[in-house]
Amino acid sequence: MKKALILALVALSPVVVLAEPPKTIDISKLPAQSKLIDDVVVPVPSEIFGVLDKLGPKPNWTAVQRPIKGVAPTPGDQPQIALLLGSVIAEGFIAVEAEDPEGVKQIGKSVLSLAKALNVDKSVVKRSNSIIANADKKDWTMVRKELDGALEDVKGAMSELNSEALSQLVSLGGWIRGTEALTAVVGKSYSKDGAELLHQPLLLDHFEKRLAGLKPKFKTPLITKVQKGVLDIRPLIGLVEGGDISEKSVKEINSITSDLIKSINSKAQ
Amino acid sequence: MKRFAPFVLFLVALAFGPGPAYATIDDALSFALEAADPYVKEGFTVREDYWGGDLPVKSTKAIVHQLFKGNEYWFWMGTDQKAAKISVHIYDSAGNLAESEAWQKPHFAAARIVPKKTGSYYLIVEIEKSPDERTYWSLAYGFK
Repeated sequence: MKKALILALVALSPVVVLAEPPKTIDISKLPAQSKLIDDVVVPVPSEIFGVLDKLGPKPNWTAVQRPIKGVAPTPGDQPQIALLLGSVIAEGFIAVEAEDPEGVKQIGKSVLSLAKALNVDKSVVKRSNSIIANADKKDWTMVRKELDGALEDVKGAMSELNSEALSQLVSLGGWIRGTEALTAVVGKSYSKDGAELLHQPLLLDHFEKRLAGLKPKFKTPLITKVQKGVLDIRPLIGLVEGGDISEKSVKEINSITSDLIKSINSKAQ
Repeated sequence: MKRFAPFVLFLVALAFGPGPAYATIDDALSFALEAADPYVKEGFTVREDYWGGDLPVKSTKAIVHQLFKGNEYWFWMGTDQKAAKISVHIYDSAGNLAESEAWQKPHFAAARIVPKKTGSYYLIVEIEKSPDERTYWSLAYGFK
């Protein structure tokens, strides 16, 4: 009887069971019309931090924070501001993990200030206010959503201003800070599963390609340094699928990303 | 592609007069997000970023995307064309079908994966059937 009821419900359901998709495809020979979409969606830090939370005891996120005193100052050139904006948004995700409302509020204000320096503040005013309001309420789910939204709004506004290159630097700044935090946590309590989260060849290749394609006007000393850092990280993140990433590699990546973050935050660039 | 497409469509709409072109990718995204809605209640975080475009019937697009072992993912595809039949499937970097489940409905398709490894995965989207020459689609994803 129960089985008949289930069968009847399945029959009446608007869900159409798929025609079986092929069990395997040849990735190297995708049909011509299946050309790869060039857009890479860069994961937000919380997508990775959430896995760390599941792997073992909750990491000490407060120890990983780089607290921002006051509103983040706006350094000289636009590429540096774009990298800094991305790293500050990533810092927001870390502050959320640390459940630090004051830190998140400071980040909300800094996001607006840096966006203003890039002439895209109109697109993030609402997001910034919402980050601050939700930090007050300790609604961390909403803060994460608004940080992700701020990132997308800034990038969207930059694309409309024909600043696609700067938009990529925002993503890269966020990735560098997120990776610094990830390697700090994994380096402190090494596990193969934790280290495997660093296996991101697609993203490294994407950033490498974007940095190589930057117009000469954006090739500042800082960008050259970042480009070298990305190239140095590439062989450390596991060249072979399923290959382990050693504790030594985790620490090396942490050292490279920490150095880059210091440079991104530096006024002297 | 996704960021430029709406802007280019907007310019086309301006040049040729008012029409539905600009709305279609946004509409497709609305359907994708509508498909995501029940999963948000299950604790999935939906990303604000997305992919989208338009495709002729029987053609596919491949999207390469980074996934992390330890998370569970849903990919939701939407289209504004009710009569279209669309699909999304997930393959690992060796080309093996890697999804745990997938479904199709008018306006929607979706696929779920619990990655066995951290790394690059291929999302294959397809317009299987449609009355339109080209059909607008959008793909969003969520994780928990």
